[in-house]
Amino acid sequence: MTKIKKIVSTPPGKKIILLGNEAIARGAIEAGIGVASTYPGTPASEIGDTLYHLSYFYNFHFEYAVNEIVALEIAAAAAISNIRSLVSMKHVGLNVAADAFMTLAYVGVNAGMVIVSADDPFAYSSQNEQDNRHYGIFAGIPVIEPSNPQEAKDFTKIAFEVSEKLKEPVLLRTTTRVSHMSAPVTLGEIIKRQETPKFIRDVKRFVPVPAHARELHKRVLENLEKAKKISEEIEINRLIINENSKIAVIASGIAINYVLDSMKRLRVGMNVLALGMTHPLPENKIVNFLTDNKDKEILIVEELDPIVEDQVKRIAYEHKIPARILGKRDKLLPMYHELNPDIVTFAISKILKIQPPINLEAIEKIRTEIISKIPRRPPVMCAGCPHRATYFAVKKALDGRDAIFTTDIGCYTLGIMPPYQIGDVLLCMGSSIGMANSFSEIFKNEKPVLAFIGDSTFFHAGLPALANGVHNGHKFIVTIMDNSTTAMTGHQPTLNIEYQLRDRKTKSIKIEDVVASMGIKNVKVVNSFVVKKLIDAYKEALEYDGISVIISRGKCILVTLREMREKGQKVIPFEVIPEKCTGCRTCVDELNCPAILWKDDRAQIDPFLCSGCGVCAQICPYHAIRRRMEHDNDT
Amino acid sequence: MTTTHNIDELNISFVGVGGTGVLTAAHLLAEAALLENLNVVIGEIHGMAQRGGSVFCEVRIGENVHGPIIPIGKLDILVGIEPLETLRYSYKLHKKSYVLINTYTIPPPSVSIGKEHYPSLEEIENTLRRFTPLIYKINAAEIAKKTGSLVTMNIVMIGAIAGLRILPIDANNFIKAIKTYFPEKYHEQNIKAFKLGYENMSENIT
Repeated sequence: MTKIKKIVSTPPGKKIILLGNEAIARGAIEAGIGVASTYPGTPASEIGDTLYHLSYFYNFHFEYAVNEIVALEIAAAAAISNIRSLVSMKHVGLNVAADAFMTLAYVGVNAGMVIVSADDPFAYSSQNEQDNRHYGIFAGIPVIEPSNPQEAKDFTKIAFEVSEKLKEPVLLRTTTRVSHMSAPVTLGEIIKRQETPKFIRDVKRFVPVPAHARELHKRVLENLEKAKKISEEIEINRLIINENSKIAVIASGIAINYVLDSMKRLRVGMNVLALGMTHPLPENKIVNFLTDNKDKEILIVEELDPIVEDQVKRIAYEHKIPARILGKRDKLLPMYHELNPDIVTFAISKILKIQPPINLEAIEKIRTEIISKIPRRPPVMCAGCPHRATYFAVKKALDGRDAIFTTDIGCYTLGIMPPYQIGDVLLCMGSSIGMANSFSEIFKNEKPVLAFIGDSTFFHAGLPALANGVHNGHKFIVTIMDNSTTAMTGHQPTLNIEYQLRDRKTKSIKIEDVVASMGIKNVKVVNSFVVKKLIDAYKEALEYDGISVIISRGKCILVTLREMREKGQKVIPFEVIPEKCTGCRTCVDELNCPAILWKDDRAQIDPFLCSGCGVCAQICPYHAIRRRMEHDNDT
Repeated sequence: MTTTHNIDELNISFVGVGGTGVLTAAHLLAEAALLENLNVVIGEIHGMAQRGGSVFCEVRIGENVHGPIIPIGKLDILVGIEPLETLRYSYKLHKKSYVLINTYTIPPPSVSIGKEHYPSLEEIENTLRRFTPLIYKINAAEIAKKTGSLVTMNIVMIGAIAGLRILPIDANNFIKAIKTYFPEKYHEQNIKAFKLGYENMSENIT
């Protein structure tokens, strides 16, 4: 039974193991959402993916949006029209959606709206470690932080209720460890909402021209006062009273678990104020906690920035409580990367002046020693990845000529690794083309500028940057790495493919048509697995005076392999003809496919790893690689 | 160790290479634990894990476990679906931890192209012995081949840990978990893999 079937068929009151993100999706279903949207991004992706599948079973509209701001606007329009809605994104996605987010706080919503931001401490799969709780404070929107999958589900429901009470959206902030933690979750009843879409025209509220905006800003602040009262009473801000040690702890989100794990390990009891709602804070509860624990050191444990910590200090100051508040400002806990039980155990031991159960430094030394002696296993482009031949062709066409390579967000960012080393600069989604506008101007007489962007990223943020380039007469080469999927986040659909939604088929938008419509004349669509045509396209583009767009089109190999499995087809791998291989290492050093091995001074192809793309056979200078005969394929 | 439901804390880590079923193995164990009415927490990291990357997944079982991260020195069972990765994640072991290694190696690309050296199994074992003497080896690839495909290596490993008889989970609950976790057409193959792994390890320890 697949997970989706389990989520649908398990009766309320029963437990199933859910990923934090799946639990958020189930929470949204239990809250009776009518609309949901997302743009995929790790660690948020599974929320949208689960909702997409669940939309076949429940009565709500789901769509993958072109980017996060459109996703947020889709959800906002629904919530303004009295339909509960949820939008999910990774932390940096909220930067994209921030323009809508900030003003949505002014106009507010009618039905509940939950905006999920999945933050990524340690930047496991991100370009930064920003703490999006700042956005709640920034916009004046309440922030709720679950600490495990059960809470992820329950707090999502609570977030809808809070949102409806205040008529403001609520920011549900998870971190990678909450989103990607699985545990048994007891399912709840699904609310059947009698929803009639209702939009009552009210320009003073919904059209924030300056005169209206000035009034609406006051509304935000009034709502925050109401939110404070909710924060005082809400059960998710709870006290865990545990016999006395010299420390009392205020913690939020995943960090609550590390505090509880540390208490057990150190066999010390501590009073803990566990915060599920971290903006606005329950000031009275905090004042009482500080007063009740006035003889103790107060330790604040939270993921990333000292947001609760700074506010607790402010509250203590305003209430003239002489508490000793410890945490990140005094460097007891780090402000970078993620917390873990060991860091928290260590900090508590330090305050209590007891011997920590582990010698972190000694273990780190052993770990470093072991790791330094063994080969690394970094992420690599898969055997048969369509991006590989594109990068190979770029190198060949440039033939040693210097160039600036602007890259973007996707699997193809791995082009920065040897031997290709294609990818000199990256900021965010779409920055490859955005920055190419300027690099190509600054270095126009010196070197070519080549931008690399995936199909999903192109639609997300590449379009305006490319229009800018055309309009301002820049000269650069854009490669749209069209693998027809959002591969890195788990193969979500893109705007250029057709797929089935609950009640309709999506329409495919052809990238070549879009690009041509901007007036770009040199547009080439090339098969990502045909090396010679790729090289020719790049040679031509390097000579072209103006913007060239090369659409390198080849399906993600993981999608191809899945489709082949479903059809019962077998991969027919390639092989090296031993008597023809001269040991020149072109395939090993320049193509660098993980299926190509080096043994006894000759190349070999691992038949298990080879996906049969055939690129190596095209680039071998001695024609020493061929497809295996089908009857050989007994592997 | 006898089976008990008052298990306080048991931490198991699965490590290996992306695409070899590390996460599946961990989730199967968790499902079996839930069938045993045990509290369980799984911690994993997704994304940027294309096929071939280093992957780990942590399972924590017991009444009093909270977070998804196993503290250092609290890892009770390390299940290495690939030897090199077993070594990479060994730093959380304690003196009485069990280590189960699949001897089937998957060389990283740098080794495949002759730029780096893959340590011998002996070297790997010697390093692991710095932490614990309780090291068990199994050739899960050989056993998986008997089920028709290498893809069941991870299930063979699950069978092997069950065969060690240190988990508070009945073997039947693993079989039940396999049935709820996989589509029906894969039941027979996976149950066979589990049983072969179980028998192999049972013989190994007696």
